[in-house]
Amino acid sequence: MDENLRRVIFETFSEVFETMFFTFLEPLEEAPGKGELGCGRFIEATISYSGGSNGNFLFYFPWELAKNITVNFLGVDEDEVRDGQLKDTAAETANMAIGSLLGKLDPGGKASLAIPQARLLAEFSPETLFGETGLCMFGTEFGILWVVGTHA
Amino acid sequence: MAFNILVADDSETMRAVIKKTVSMSGVPVGEFHEAANGKEALAILAETWIDVILSDINMPEMGGMELLKKISEDEDLRKIPLIFITTEASDARKEEAQKHGVAGYVKKPFQPETIKAILYDVLEKAYEHRLEENPGEETGEESDF
Repeated sequence: MDENLRRVIFETFSEVFETMFFTFLEPLEEAPGKGELGCGRFIEATISYSGGSNGNFLFYFPWELAKNITVNFLGVDEDEVRDGQLKDTAAETANMAIGSLLGKLDPGGKASLAIPQARLLAEFSPETLFGETGLCMFGTEFGILWVVGTHA
Repeated sequence: MAFNILVADDSETMRAVIKKTVSMSGVPVGEFHEAANGKEALAILAETWIDVILSDINMPEMGGMELLKKISEDEDLRKIPLIFITTEASDARKEEAQKHGVAGYVKKPFQPETIKAILYDVLEKAYEHRLEENPGEETGEESDF
């Protein structure tokens, strides 16, 4: 993934997270050490597009981050949040982030977004993502958001 | 005078956020109705008086653009304003939506103020339409619309 695309991704995702969830992203240049990976429960959201451009993006939200953005999005208390809402918010986040990105990468609107999907991962290690060429990492107050994407 | 609002989005969470945004905007809401796709929206429209539709574009089974086309082709439904709230904000999509008579276009992520401004603008027209259809509803009281 080239640096220009990474910059556009960061700018686009930052706008979505700040506007909808009051969450600030910080791009990470290097993978963190093992102790900072945050293995455990995650939510995986995936979305693809095809047409004038083709792409696929996978988002890995640490549980605490997923919970925090859901609380901010819905305006509910933390203990009221249901697993289904976490998945729905993660899917909608992927939809907004990649929909906004596509508006910049494909201004002619030839590509169409697929319906986003999300699932709970009971035990996930972000270490499995190392080596992916499209890996982007964003630091947040509630853990690292991991994103693996392709765009052509 | 309160307005009946139909929210069409396949995300239950997004429907909840839109309802909350509308409720906090100060728009007088009679009833909220919810649909997870265009088909469900049409079923509701066939049975219920709706003043304005807030719809996503990217939905399974029947998307928002097809819903808009079906509404624009229907003699009874075409006067109901439809506002898209969507991530799909390319010029091509907007032009296609305008061609079929969309009343407003809000790009996600959105600020609540954006929805409020468009909703007030669109509901002014919906208010006039409702009075035309139901002249007996006019109360003589001052209205924001």
